[in-house]
Parts: sequence; structure tokens; C-alpha cells
Amino acid sequence: MLLVTCPICGAEGDETDFHFGGQAHIARPATTNPEGITDAQQREYLFTRINPKGLHFERARCDRGCGKWFHIARDTMTMEIKAYYGVTELPPPDIIAQAKGGWAELFAERTAHAKKTK
Amino acid sequence: MTLTEGASVLEAVFESALAHRAEPTNTYVSLHEISMRGMIDLRGLNTDKKFMAAAKQVLGIDLPKAPRTSETFGDVKALWLSPDQWMILCARDKAPALTAQLTEALAGIHSLAVDVSDMRAIIRVEGEGAREVMMKGSSLDFTDDDFKPGYVRRIRFAEIAALFNIVEDNVIDLYVFRSYAHYTMDFLTKAARKGSEVAALRK
Repeated sequence: MLLVTCPICGAEGDETDFHFGGQAHIARPATTNPEGITDAQQREYLFTRINPKGLHFERARCDRGCGKWFHIARDTMTMEIKAYYGVTELPPPDIIAQAKGGWAELFAERTAHAKKTK
Repeated sequence: MTLTEGASVLEAVFESALAHRAEPTNTYVSLHEISMRGMIDLRGLNTDKKFMAAAKQVLGIDLPKAPRTSETFGDVKALWLSPDQWMILCARDKAPALTAQLTEALAGIHSLAVDVSDMRAIIRVEGEGAREVMMKGSSLDFTDDDFKPGYVRRIRFAEIAALFNIVEDNVIDLYVFRSYAHYTMDFLTKAARKGSEVAALRK
């Protein structure tokens, strides 16, 4: 059983007090030009998920507390929760540094993008 | 249903969720419905000074910012639901007017005030074993020191979404969505049946 603490209101509870929201940081392809989206992009968005053993990032909702969504960085092997962070944020830099495989690629891309838009 | 002379429209139309149900007997805590309470859903950012000031001007209280707390002023009570949501309790016949006042005071501020008096049913669990009965339906430890009068929290109670407010030490108001009222009363009646006291759950 996972013991979760809501980073927004501080409510503690087991995983049944929270609503699991699937993988975090899934970006929807831009919809300004739906014709321009390739089947591969759409498939990627709908079905392709990052599923490494170890550090994983997911969304959760504080169902029985404040009702807010937030992010969890969790190790799928040890079930250890490494960090909580806001629903519009990227993980803390030290956690990003530990990310592997698909996650490392995703965060490299996102941080590069964030720098560019700054 | 006909309107009797002198009765307001509100009285004639409104029927509480458990109106036709006899109060349970043979329970070791008292269980009864609180029906004439008005409830207003108020949303806005607790970081917005204008919003907080406008709410205070109408309600006479600072909206509670600390999680799981409530504030009372006269017959108006504000329950914290989330950093941007509160439930305002008042007399049922005052709710429409209070909602209108709030809407007016909050004009131009990113916020929302809606009269949701019919949305939920309230069951008051009262007596020596009130906390114990609540513990039978939830995963929380009601003997914890945090659970003092004024405490408010959303919970999963008997597998449904609920909200409770500790009014006094042994008086707990349980708010459930109206369609769950009978189910909740059934559950509580069974959980509080005489002879089913659990000494281990008492402080």
C-alpha cells in the first residue's frame, strides 16, 4: 500500500484516498492545425507510454482532501515516493537528474523548450 | 402539494431527503437529519486580497485559509474545502439572499457563489460513541488530537464521498450527496446498533 501526503493541503492517506491519474507530462499534439497531425503523432499521444523499471512520474488527485491534482515522482521498484510537485511544474532538478530512458529524453526536451520560451 | 396561506414558497416546495423516515432507535448514538440548513458553494483564490475582503464584508468572517478548519460568525459558518473552495453554512431561508449579496460583492472578481442547499443531506451523529461510529466507516483515526471541534474534512465514508465537520466533542455533522442520504442512514443505523460498541475504538 502506498502512503501519500497531499502537497497542497497536507492530507495523509493511503492510495484509496487519492485518485490515480495515469502517466504525467503527456503532451497533446497542437490542435491549431488538426490536418497537420500525423497518425504517428496521434498514436504516440494516445497509446505510447513510458514504462521503465524504477523512477516514474504520475498524476494523482487528492480525492478526499482538497480535490486538487498534483504530480508524484515514484520508484516503481521500491514504491518509494521521491517527490511531490505541482500539476503545472516539472520535477525538481535533482529528481530530473535521476530520470532514465524515455523520461530523461522527455525532460531534456521539455527543459530545452522551457528555456527557449523564456 | 398546495400552498397554505402564509407559508412561504420555500417551505411548501422543500422536502428534506429523509423527511419520511422515522429516526432510528436501538442505536447507541443519536442519528438525526439536519434539514433547514442553507449551503453556499463559494470559490475564489485565497491569495486574492480583493476576493477575501469582499467575502469578509458580506459574511463577517475571514475565510479560513488553513486546511481542514472552519470559522463561525453568528449563524454563518465557513468550512474550508480546498485552497479555493469553501462551503458557507447559514439558515436555509437566508441562503438565497446571502448568495445574491455575495454575487454582488464579488462582481468583477474571479469567483463563484452558488446556492447548493439541496445538493447535500446532513446527518448529525451525536453521543458518546460518535467518533467510534465514524471510524467504522472510514480510514481515519478520530481519536487523533487533530480531530477537535471545528475540524472539517472530505472523506470516503462507507465507500461514498462525504464531508464531515466536528461541531462539538461528541457531535459530528456528516454531509453526503442527497441521493446517498438513505444509504448513509442505513449504514449508520447498522454501525451504531446497540451491542456493537467497540471499546478498542474509544480513546
